[in-house]
Amino acid sequence: MLYLFLFFPMAAAFVAWLLGLRSAKARDLFASLATVVSFGLSVALLLLPDRSADLPFVAGIGIHLITDGFRKVYLCVITFVWMMTTLLGREYFSHYQNVNRYVFFNLLTLGATVGVFLAADLGTALLFFEIMSFTSYTWVIQEETPAAIKAANTYLAVAVIGGLAALFGLFLLYHTLGTLTISELYAAAQATDHRTLLYVAGGCVLFGFGAKAGMFPLHIWLPKAHPVAPAPASALLSGLLTKSGIFGVIAITCHLFWGDPNWGRLILILGTVTMVLGAVLALFSVDLKRTLACSSVSQIGFILVGVGMMGMLGEGNALAARGTFLHMLNHSLFKLVLFLSAGVVYMNTHALNLNDIRGFGKGKPALLIAFLCGALGIGGFPLFSGYVSKTLLHESIVEGIERFGSFGMHAVEWLFLLSGGITVAYMTKLFVALFCESHPEKQRQFSENRSYMRPLSAAVLLVSAALIPLLGSTASLSMDAIADLGTDYLNAGTLPHAVAYFSFENMKGALISIAIGFVLYFGVVRTLLMTGKKGRRVYVDRWPAWLDLETLLYRPLLLKWLPGVLGPIAALFGENRLLKPLAKGTVRAASVGAHAASDLLDAFVLLLRRTVYRESKPEASDKARASLAYRVGSRIDAIASRRGTSSGNRHRYAEASFRAQKTLRETGHRLTGNLSFALFMMVLAISFVLFYMLILH
Amino acid sequence: MNQIVMAALLLLPIAAGTALAFMKRAEKRAADAVFIAALAVEAALCLWYLFLPDASIPLFSMTDTLKVGLRTDGVSRIFLSVGAFGFLPAGIYATRYMAHGERQSSFYAFMLFSLAALVGMDCSENLITMYLFFEMATLLSMPLVLHDRTEESVRAALKYLFYSIAGAFLALLAIFTLSRFTATLSFAPQGTLNADAEAHRTLIEVTVFLGVIGFGAKAGMYPLHGWLPSAHPVAPAPASAVLSGVIAKAGVLAILRLVFYIVGTSFLRGTWVQIAWISLALLTVFVGSMMAYREDVFKKRLAYSSVSQISYILVGLFCMTAQSVSGGLLHVLFHACIKVCLFLVAGSFITQLGKTRVSELRGVGKAMPVTLWAFTVASLGLIGIPPAAGFVSKWYLALGALDTAIPFLNWFVPVILLVSALLTAGYLLPVTVSGFFPGKDFPALERTDEGTPVMWLPIAILAAISLLIGVFAGPLTNWTAALAAALV
Repeated sequence: MLYLFLFFPMAAAFVAWLLGLRSAKARDLFASLATVVSFGLSVALLLLPDRSADLPFVAGIGIHLITDGFRKVYLCVITFVWMMTTLLGREYFSHYQNVNRYVFFNLLTLGATVGVFLAADLGTALLFFEIMSFTSYTWVIQEETPAAIKAANTYLAVAVIGGLAALFGLFLLYHTLGTLTISELYAAAQATDHRTLLYVAGGCVLFGFGAKAGMFPLHIWLPKAHPVAPAPASALLSGLLTKSGIFGVIAITCHLFWGDPNWGRLILILGTVTMVLGAVLALFSVDLKRTLACSSVSQIGFILVGVGMMGMLGEGNALAARGTFLHMLNHSLFKLVLFLSAGVVYMNTHALNLNDIRGFGKGKPALLIAFLCGALGIGGFPLFSGYVSKTLLHESIVEGIERFGSFGMHAVEWLFLLSGGITVAYMTKLFVALFCESHPEKQRQFSENRSYMRPLSAAVLLVSAALIPLLGSTASLSMDAIADLGTDYLNAGTLPHAVAYFSFENMKGALISIAIGFVLYFGVVRTLLMTGKKGRRVYVDRWPAWLDLETLLYRPLLLKWLPGVLGPIAALFGENRLLKPLAKGTVRAASVGAHAASDLLDAFVLLLRRTVYRESKPEASDKARASLAYRVGSRIDAIASRRGTSSGNRHRYAEASFRAQKTLRETGHRLTGNLSFALFMMVLAISFVLFYMLILH
Repeated sequence: MNQIVMAALLLLPIAAGTALAFMKRAEKRAADAVFIAALAVEAALCLWYLFLPDASIPLFSMTDTLKVGLRTDGVSRIFLSVGAFGFLPAGIYATRYMAHGERQSSFYAFMLFSLAALVGMDCSENLITMYLFFEMATLLSMPLVLHDRTEESVRAALKYLFYSIAGAFLALLAIFTLSRFTATLSFAPQGTLNADAEAHRTLIEVTVFLGVIGFGAKAGMYPLHGWLPSAHPVAPAPASAVLSGVIAKAGVLAILRLVFYIVGTSFLRGTWVQIAWISLALLTVFVGSMMAYREDVFKKRLAYSSVSQISYILVGLFCMTAQSVSGGLLHVLFHACIKVCLFLVAGSFITQLGKTRVSELRGVGKAMPVTLWAFTVASLGLIGIPPAAGFVSKWYLALGALDTAIPFLNWFVPVILLVSALLTAGYLLPVTVSGFFPGKDFPALERTDEGTPVMWLPIAILAAISLLIGVFAGPLTNWTAALAAALV
């Protein structure tokens, strides 16, 4: 069953590709069916009891799969989101090139992502994680524009470097603990004394998985990759692939370092920075998909804050765990809805800049409802599902304040509320631009465009969007039940009492955030981030272009400084620039120790090349020196020409015999050269032997 | 029966090679047929032999102590398979690649002679026999580099000869010394040092150190690695493929035999010699990758890559733990498969498109999709992306290195291995990326021809194998783990 679930999409990928060679229609139908079947399988899995499976002989470390509540729920989310994006993709890609490639890699990536979430040990997780990174690379580069290629290269570099760092972490973990099975990590970590080594290993794994999650300072690929990737791919990248990174971070935090406040603090700090930074970046952005991408960074920060709180709180981590899990799930849904809405906008306008698409949503109720659900959800408005998870996260921070009471915890709480406020502000900015403002030139064209999406796409969008208020308004039933399923994997304690989501105490945080949001929107977005131009207000990007970690630090570091420093060092060895002068010196100093023998040999080769085997320069008097052959040849030529056999070709024999003689001489030269070299070597060896026999022996 | 098969393994290439050497130039088809038949039968024999018990054939004695004879064990089998199965695809490819060149049959003949010398080395019973075949392999493979007879190729061939012979004489010194301090020069796991050895520790350490440096010339280990980047770009692609994928492994085998079967790990473990070897091999790993990263000529880039990758194997051997040696042996197989594939790909780019530089390879994916796909799959294996082949061997190498008791180096080795893996990604993946994704408006290449199946099929099969032996590495890892456990 697990194998079927895992390998079915991968097998389907090849079938879809083959079908695509014949007919695009058949391929699209088949790919949609494949994702529907995957979703069906995951629902079936949800209803069946937990199970595990092993393929010990694969890839040296084996594949170990397992299911539990957390995994089963998330697999349903994955296959659901995948199904929805694939269904909408049928319309989105209808005018694209290279769709066959996209469909093939889309299904392969589905299989790999499923593999990550089924993994029972970190080795298996990394294995599928790497496959996922490489296959999803083709999504980013799909359009092959210069911007896409650059973004894809960044994505690939982050994936490769992150993957290798995580691999190094696994080396260390396996070496110290002797196991990589996630459920055994905690016990093994308690039994070992090498705590520092564990932190190093954990740091490496965090680097690898955190890079995929979009954690600061490795978030650089997200804002680049999303605007250039096709919208369905953006939804997957931001909704699901980032979560596979979170999956790994949870594996270390909730198992390896369970209840370790040091580790929890690290994650909490990184999470807070990610949360605030992403939100600020999103607020400044004037590109629809870039805003959503930065928002993903910020929301991942929210999730990481939850993960960090789980680490800090130890036994009492129930609130944080439930908040984390639900926010992961919510964010996947929000980003599905929001990116697909953005995809619908892009499909019609081929633009993403807010100034070019303003007013597109006017008179389009389906799009409006879908986008509004997503926006209210991510903004944490009561009755929408984002409110529930954010409230839980907020409560866990409050719990942290009660427990530790430190200034840092208070700061985290205020930054948390501030980020929530910024979220509201940038979502309002997007909403107002799309649905309230009107485009100065194209508004009529926008408003008249009633057939802006097919019924299937509209259904996909509305069904996905409907889930958000549905879950949010029945929180105590649906979301609590889901959260209960997640407790095993998150190692969560039991909740002391049910959370009253709609009490004023809990509403307060959300209301503060919403208030901050509107203050920011009217105080900052409408004033600082817009400017009057010919009497009209337009959005401007006030973020300084140079202020970008990638161009400021990573690219110079990797492409200039490291090769600039290490390259010449390598060349010093690689081209023997170091050894050659050394060898010359060794020859001059006649007495050498035995350990310099290799240098001596090199010097010897050098010496021979400088002296005996020097390249013979072409000699001016070649013809004169080969006079005999030349003269004989000329004589034959003369005879031949007299007899009329080589009329047009004088000096034929002369040249030929001259060349023959020259070749003979060169060959002879080389032959004697080699022979004498071999003899030299013999002599050298014999003198070594003599030296050894007479003196050392 | 097993003796006959072993003798056939050695004699068949010699016989076929001799026949080819005397063939007339016009008989191209016949030459192709003899060559391919010989390689195919050799591979079949090798496969058969893998299922037969070990054989031994004493040949003759030079003196009472200097015996020449053949005998096989598990390690022989690994290197035999690398030889027979590495030469076959390169040989098939060569029939097309060399079709328009001159001296085709002499090229075939020297390919077969080299193979015979390698088989001899693999089956050697003692150090003397192995040394004879080692020298022979050098001399018989040199004409492969020399084949084009250009100024450059002659110079590269001479460089190869100088380095190899210089290395071999260093090794000879070790053999002389060791013959005095060993019970016998026949190979035995854990070594054959006699009671006198401990008293002359320094002498043995120095000479064995130099001997390994000498054999290391063949494997492209610093400081005698210089010939590899010179020889590969000038040799024909099939020759580069076997030189780097198979013949360079002769150096690995020689080092393995000297260190593990004559001296023994208990004598060397923890000494300055081990540390020096690991450091040198590690230096080579890094330097090779970095030079490859900076190199634009495709075949030269691959040659530097070989310098780096073969030293991965050596690092594994020098760490002398069960897991690291096991990882090294696995990497022998994996690197052979992958590097033969990569060099053949480089050959296809040269013959089909006339492109020798990486910077010219933009957009080749549209022209030669199968070839570039094969390149991509093999590259992922070489980088060590799970579940491809290189990942498995590097996993064991790194874990083995962490197990050594040497302070600093035990974690520095995995770090360098990963930095080098990163550089490997840096010098291989751009070919794939710019090949498949040249950009939206990049004009299609003029020639869009994959070549005949004789060219792309061996490449595709090798790439597929490199992926499959990684995914289904279980039986292989068990085998090498058992071999390694007997050695350390």
